[in-house]
Amino acid sequence: MTSDSAQQIQVPIDPPSDSVSDSIVDSQIQVRLKSEGERLLLILPPEAETPGAASWFDLWQQLKHRLNAGERFWQAQTTVRLMAQDRLLDGQKLQAIADALTEVQLQLLQVYTSRRQTAVAAAAAGYSVEQQPPTCSLNQTPKEPAELLAEPLYLQITVRSGVEIRHPGTIVILGDLNPGGEVVAAGDIFVWGRLRGVAHAGANGNRNCRIMALQMEPTQLRIANAVARAPGTPPSQFYPEVAYVTPEGIRIARATDFSKTHLSLNS
Amino acid sequence: MSRIIVITSGKGGVGKSTVTANLGMAIARLGHTVALVDADFGLRNLDLLLGLENRVVYTALEVLAGQCRLEQALVKDKRQEGVVLLPAAQSRSKESVSPDQMKKLVGALTQKYDYVVIDSPAGIEMGFQNAIAAAQEALIVTTPEIAAVRDADRVVGLLEAQGIKRIHLIVNRLKPGMVQAEQMMSVQDVQELLAIPLIGVVPDDERVIVSSNRGEPLVLAENISLPAMAINNIARRLDGEKVPFLDLMADYDSFLNRIRRLFRG
Repeated sequence: MTSDSAQQIQVPIDPPSDSVSDSIVDSQIQVRLKSEGERLLLILPPEAETPGAASWFDLWQQLKHRLNAGERFWQAQTTVRLMAQDRLLDGQKLQAIADALTEVQLQLLQVYTSRRQTAVAAAAAGYSVEQQPPTCSLNQTPKEPAELLAEPLYLQITVRSGVEIRHPGTIVILGDLNPGGEVVAAGDIFVWGRLRGVAHAGANGNRNCRIMALQMEPTQLRIANAVARAPGTPPSQFYPEVAYVTPEGIRIARATDFSKTHLSLNS
Repeated sequence: MSRIIVITSGKGGVGKSTVTANLGMAIARLGHTVALVDADFGLRNLDLLLGLENRVVYTALEVLAGQCRLEQALVKDKRQEGVVLLPAAQSRSKESVSPDQMKKLVGALTQKYDYVVIDSPAGIEMGFQNAIAAAQEALIVTTPEIAAVRDADRVVGLLEAQGIKRIHLIVNRLKPGMVQAEQMMSVQDVQELLAIPLIGVVPDDERVIVSSNRGEPLVLAENISLPAMAINNIARRLDGEKVPFLDLMADYDSFLNRIRRLFRG
């Protein structure tokens, strides 16, 4: 293995046990924006899957972050369909969401919900409402095939301390990941900037996932169930680097070397 | 029987977390096992001051959610045996934990550790309520400033209302020179207002800032500094020993100053 000419990171502390819920990303899904033809879907996480923890305040902050981070990707005056799922939204909250969308030149038009109260509030506010009958089966959310990754999430933001971004696919950050910030992806993680916080790729257990950054100074890197800390003394020079899993734990290689030695052999 | 101590202040920036980190280490050096609990959800700092930030994998929140066992979340300190840290979550707000959950966590920790030391967030809202929920005794940290002392007074009242009777005072960042020149409140002034027993006075020292930035608690340093000595004494007093207070004024108590004071009356 000649690719490891770059510095090596220390190997796992305590590999998290298997008792950790195997779908760490799915269980804590966040607010999502997805384009569907001419319109944009704003998907709120179902209340049933995020009990208590994801309060309206958390949800609201997430929404604002997402909207500010993706501004370049939609045309002005694109219409939005709010997928409220089983979330209880009153007129005030709907208005808050609509205002946030208006700020970035999006237009809330439709609301899709399984809650009667939300449907009533939305209708009163003049949105076109589609009410889905509440599913009575225990298996509430029709699960997509687990292996299938969501489309990549592209964000133009600085991920600051206290911000946590989770996505059941690959995450691309155009900006820095600051210490105290955390990015958790079921797929790969690209940071086009300085990676100084915690990055967790392959969070659902895929050990083939990688973490790439222009400047790698992480607090901690995790890939699947492997954990690594940065070396005690930071390197004097930085190159774009790639972190990947070997049987010995997480290793880091210079991006230029990595593409020669790894990408031609595997995949 | 383990002891549960909350370190709190009301006002922010008076040195709660620094005192917690150093005191935890000092207690462990006396041969006790110590669990440090960061109750500052959303703005956690204790891991930074202890230099353990990059070893945090799970936090108290994951323990409460049942996503990991308590032992998995505890970060051991490699420099000082007997110290573990239970980190707070950084990405959540203070409302994500309830006082009852906090009691449960701390209760579980008392099974294995002699001392459970809780670092409270600033303020008197939810985070503070969580921090004091499980505590049996409290250490109030204040600086000799009027705003800090006023907030400390308010907090003492809240602690007494909560039924926490054993409350001790730590005066932090005292500048003996300024006290001598009567430009700063003296320890006596602070005590007069708060009327709770004093357990230690920590002098202001630039080395505290250096040690915080490096994540190396001052009490672990090879050549012992005055603030580290003060913290070590606090640990011994907590443990029931009678230790005389350091004479911080000694350097400034010159013959000339004494005469000046005499004339000032």
